[in-house]
Amino acid sequence: MADMEQVKFPRQGSDYTPLPRSKQDGRVVAHAVQTINATPHEVYQVYSRGELLPTWQEGVISVTATGDNTFHWLIEDPGTRKQMEFDSEVLEAVPGERHVSRIVNGPLESTTNTITFVEHPAGRGTIVAMISDFRVPGGVLANAVAAVVSRSPEQTTIENLRHLKELIESKEIPTVEGQPAGPRGVMGKWKQFLMGENMPTPPGTSDRARPQDMPEEASSISPLLIGGVAVVAGAAAWYGVRAMLDE
Amino acid sequence: MKAVCWMGTGKVEVQTVDDPKILNPGDAILRITRTAICGSDLHLYDGYIPTMESGDILGHEFMGIVEEVGSEVKKLKVGDRVVVPFTIACGNCFSCKKDLWSLCDNSNPNAHVAEAMYGYGGSALFGYSHIYGGYAGGQAQYVRVPFADVGPIKIESGIEDEKVLFLSDIYPTGYQGAENANIQPGDNVAIWGAGPVGLFAAASAYMLGAGNVFVIDRFPERLALARDYCGATVIDYSDGKSIVEALRDLTGGIGPDSCIDAVGMEAHGTDVSAMYDKVEQGLMLETDRPTALRQILQSVRKGGTVSIPGVYGGALNKLNFGAAFGKGITMKMGQTNMHKYLKPLLERVEQGQIDPSFMISHRIGINDVPDMYKIWRDKKDRVTKIVIDPFRETGIEKLHVA
Repeated sequence: MADMEQVKFPRQGSDYTPLPRSKQDGRVVAHAVQTINATPHEVYQVYSRGELLPTWQEGVISVTATGDNTFHWLIEDPGTRKQMEFDSEVLEAVPGERHVSRIVNGPLESTTNTITFVEHPAGRGTIVAMISDFRVPGGVLANAVAAVVSRSPEQTTIENLRHLKELIESKEIPTVEGQPAGPRGVMGKWKQFLMGENMPTPPGTSDRARPQDMPEEASSISPLLIGGVAVVAGAAAWYGVRAMLDE
Repeated sequence: MKAVCWMGTGKVEVQTVDDPKILNPGDAILRITRTAICGSDLHLYDGYIPTMESGDILGHEFMGIVEEVGSEVKKLKVGDRVVVPFTIACGNCFSCKKDLWSLCDNSNPNAHVAEAMYGYGGSALFGYSHIYGGYAGGQAQYVRVPFADVGPIKIESGIEDEKVLFLSDIYPTGYQGAENANIQPGDNVAIWGAGPVGLFAAASAYMLGAGNVFVIDRFPERLALARDYCGATVIDYSDGKSIVEALRDLTGGIGPDSCIDAVGMEAHGTDVSAMYDKVEQGLMLETDRPTALRQILQSVRKGGTVSIPGVYGGALNKLNFGAAFGKGITMKMGQTNMHKYLKPLLERVEQGQIDPSFMISHRIGINDVPDMYKIWRDKKDRVTKIVIDPFRETGIEKLHVA
């Protein structure tokens, strides 16, 4: 209680400054914040290793170093199984503090990811803030449709940072993919589809198999259930959401 | 394997499904020796917990023998006999380190669903809807247990399964209900609900120093267990008597120091407020029927404590928060921080202080489960607790404990 006795007033406070969050045509800025129970350098080390990205980022098949600061990416939309390749470059790399990278070609060109690492003042680990500035090929409308059937860019940012925390703190990413279940029925599959529960979690440290009891492909199950909307949704899921993985 | 699956509201079926397999390096697979139906499974059966999907395997009270372990499992080995806590916790996050195991940050793959509904999500649970992780449950022959080095407690002695099975949920849940009630030596403690959690809360309240324990219910077989095993004074409200008045008279006009809600979201009652809840829940105007909680807020003494181990899912209507404020009460609630209680409560069982199997009324085989869900929901056949041998096909053995 010694510290509390030393507090005296008046005492200077500060104004709240929101982290960026916006949607304009062709651009979505999203953010996520987590406190991870490890030092800033430990978190930075896991984050900045390109070869680890497929274990914790959704939809990433491989990331290969092509130079000192450049990487080649292969990503896949889990719904359509369509794949896409692009390159990224690291713009800033301050170990334990800050990392900025950008996609340099393909439909997502100039999508930028900024992540900062700050030690928690009360010893709870590291406060990690991730800000993703997405280029959205399908525009805001496609993005809105995609958010219903899949993950929005905002949610993708939140989930990726959550997976990083899970991997660092508990050494694995929790999953129920590939567990047994009784017959799902049409409504069960539809609900899984709607709620995004057919989104496979990244493999983490496991070598588990693909899920066995979910709709095989968004594009094949959707027309049965939602008719014409499926075409838009399928396209949006590809262009608007899954493809937009940040670094 | 055979597993008990939720197939829609009021519909439970035994299905043949694939055997579970190791998915993460910290997983173990158990061959289940005994499992049970919990009162909270009825909230799923009745369709009041959202995000259930047809085909989901039910069950969160189980124990068994380790069949297989993942590459990172160090403490458990094949052949170990374990009881598994129903909350799934990683053991390494801020919440787990604070002993808040039911609020683990890292065990729920669907945390975003819980965040949308509650702001922040708690730990995952076995067999308890997709908002709580969507993990397959243990009313089955085999189950996958994540974080196997963190949750399961080894049973090293030769003690029978039925005496330790309830360490998986209801005994620790009743105990935490009593611990959260802030009981001081000699206190008057009132407990709503003489189901398994209420009975364990009553016994635990005496373990923690209560002077008098009052238990409220309407079923004679349950009240008999509370009176004749747990040593409580029992109040049968089925004739419509005022519980507030009964408790005021029993506590010298003060009201109980602590009240424990071991009922939760599907409360039954005889007064106008109970009928109001039935109508509102039926019209989907509220998700929960807080009839017991309303009585508790009226009954508890000034400055008293309300502890809520009963499950609530969503919005409560017409709850007299003014009573809570006006009397300056303290409320504690939540899923049970299971991992904290396993060892000390196992010791109490092994030392013979309590035999948790006292409440078992039915032993059944796996094919009997769908029928027993209905009996359990309707409180027929003097049912007080159902234990399942998942490798026995059928055959209901009634114990009529009370």
